Amino acid sequence: MSKVAMFRVRAIAKKEVIEFVRDWRTIMAIIVIPLLMFPLLFILFPVLLESEAAELDALEISIVVQSNELDPSLEDAIVGAGIMFELESLSNLTTLSEPGEDMDRVRNLSVDAVLRIERVNTTWNYAILHLSTSERSNEAWNRLLDALNQWEDEEVERRISDSGLDVNATLDPLRWDGDVGQSDVATSGEQAGMVLSLFIPLVLAIWTYSSALQPSIDMTAGERERGTLEALLCLPCTRLELLLGKWAAVATITGVGVVLQIFGLLFAIGYLASSSLIGLPDLSITAILLLITAILLFAVMIVAIELALAMRSHSVKEAGSILAPMLLLIVFPALFTQVINLDGIESVWFAIPVVNILLALRELLMNRIIPGHIVIWAGTSLLYAALAAYYASRQFGREDIVTSLS
Amino acid sequence: MEPLLSISNVSKSFGDLVALDQINLEIRSGEVVGLVGSNGAGKTTLLRLMAGVYLPTSGKVSLPDGQPVNKMRQSLGVVPESTGLYSRLTAWENIRYHSRMHGVSDKDAWARTSKFAEHLDMLDSLGRHTKGFSRGMRQKTALLRALAHGPSILLLDEPTAGLDITSARTVRHLVEQLKNEGGTIVYSTHQLSEAQQVCDRIVIVHNGEIRADGSPEALLESTDTTTLEEAYVTLTKDTARPRTEEDGKEGRFTGWWRSFFTPKPPQVTMNEVENDE
Repeated sequence: MSKVAMFRVRAIAKKEVIEFVRDWRTIMAIIVIPLLMFPLLFILFPVLLESEAAELDALEISIVVQSNELDPSLEDAIVGAGIMFELESLSNLTTLSEPGEDMDRVRNLSVDAVLRIERVNTTWNYAILHLSTSERSNEAWNRLLDALNQWEDEEVERRISDSGLDVNATLDPLRWDGDVGQSDVATSGEQAGMVLSLFIPLVLAIWTYSSALQPSIDMTAGERERGTLEALLCLPCTRLELLLGKWAAVATITGVGVVLQIFGLLFAIGYLASSSLIGLPDLSITAILLLITAILLFAVMIVAIELALAMRSHSVKEAGSILAPMLLLIVFPALFTQVINLDGIESVWFAIPVVNILLALRELLMNRIIPGHIVIWAGTSLLYAALAAYYASRQFGREDIVTSLS
Repeated sequence: MEPLLSISNVSKSFGDLVALDQINLEIRSGEVVGLVGSNGAGKTTLLRLMAGVYLPTSGKVSLPDGQPVNKMRQSLGVVPESTGLYSRLTAWENIRYHSRMHGVSDKDAWARTSKFAEHLDMLDSLGRHTKGFSRGMRQKTALLRALAHGPSILLLDEPTAGLDITSARTVRHLVEQLKNEGGTIVYSTHQLSEAQQVCDRIVIVHNGEIRADGSPEALLESTDTTTLEEAYVTLTKDTARPRTEEDGKEGRFTGWWRSFFTPKPPQVTMNEVENDE
């Protein structure tokens, strides 16, 4: 490419980025929201859950216990679980789960739950009537289950002991010796790589597609609809220069968005786990370079496809209705790729569009550098990227791009 | 005079629609050529062919030395009907973007822009974003943008359409000034009076054909009429076709789908309407 052509491509890209930066709404949508999304989700959401849990813990739960013979130790366990109760006699029922006459008072929450329990020879039968759509009733159900489990454990231990057996040896005859964590021969970096490989490719794929969506449409169908494209096509630049300039602008914006989102994601995980659950993955320089190459090839292909399809569209609305549903073509392979077992994987997977890059990212994040796989995913991705670029150049070369429905 | 641009036997079709049929036209240095015709006549298509945005279906648009027209874009200044300004850029940034694409330095572009901006009373508005510009200001900015790199030919597509009287007058004065300075201009309009006022030569385009090409006096003489309006009516007696360039490109399924969800107008005769009243 000549120096003049390079200058024009740079001028087009620069103008597109300037226009983009001057619109605060798109900056919010593509830069700020992805940066804050995961921190907000991973930090604020648990805080919210904690405060809700504390609120539930503070609830005063009152239930009715229906039994003709309530064991005093079970009574203690129920009170110990923070439940106030009234004792009633147990009426004749086909099964204890049948709501019967208690239906109304549980439904209108005049009691939070009803525990029915009866002794049948050496065992106990029980049922808890509750309203699953009520937080209070669910809390009563959870506390009652805790109390019953605790009482059951004590009862089991008492019965084993009464039989003259050792309680620990009977209940726990097989035991792990030493520290479980010590026995994993994978390094903490490898473990971190494994964890990251389960969601980083997914996030990258979806975000690359979705963050390129708005600028792609704005710079093509948007220009067409606003009538600015005709003036641009009268300039002494070729359609290829126009495509390259716009591609560079969309790729820059998308790249910044994706990097910021990953940064926000890692920050959130680091904060949540206080750096003890997940560390930095062990990645060689080769793996890092290959990771960047894979992401670049993917971005070349995705941005070219989006620009091409948006340029084919007569209006922003038409482009949106074509490109938005196409996100599913990324989401499904991305979800599918998460469950593929990488050990002994067949090479053909590394030739399938989208899947190939996602699998490559997973392998590389686990620092697995397998030359055969690299050749296949790099080769096929180059081919797909070239085909996408060719398709985009064909669309940019169309005569009718100058006309608009508006 | 030396022709700057030659159009030889050019036809242009969009699907089944023949937008232009066997057009022959030469644009000579220093003349102001008015393309006059109704909506859908083919004026914009002809201008787009001159600008190299469209390629002819048959025939040739070329420079005198036989080079294709896309080589000529370097020396073209174009003001499309839609003006094509970026609303998030200032007027000067819009102008500078285009002049940079023409390879003109910012300094030279500013020198030319400020000269014409003063004439158009736009100097103080060059630093403003074009988002809030009136139609007149947008048109003037587009004109400044087309002039900033010193084009050999200026292509203006209905430059006064939608402008108020004062703005339209200012634009016409600028064109006259450029004409006096020896500029070559192709001026598309559907207003005969405007063409008569501004242009040396009038080309009447109708239903994709050139019906007349000459000075206003020559047109009157050839049609044996006393006013240009009469001459125009004489030359374009057949019914003008509707504007269907975009329709010609619409996919069959898209057209069918839209018509499927479009109710037919009520089939009521005039007698029934009168009876209802």
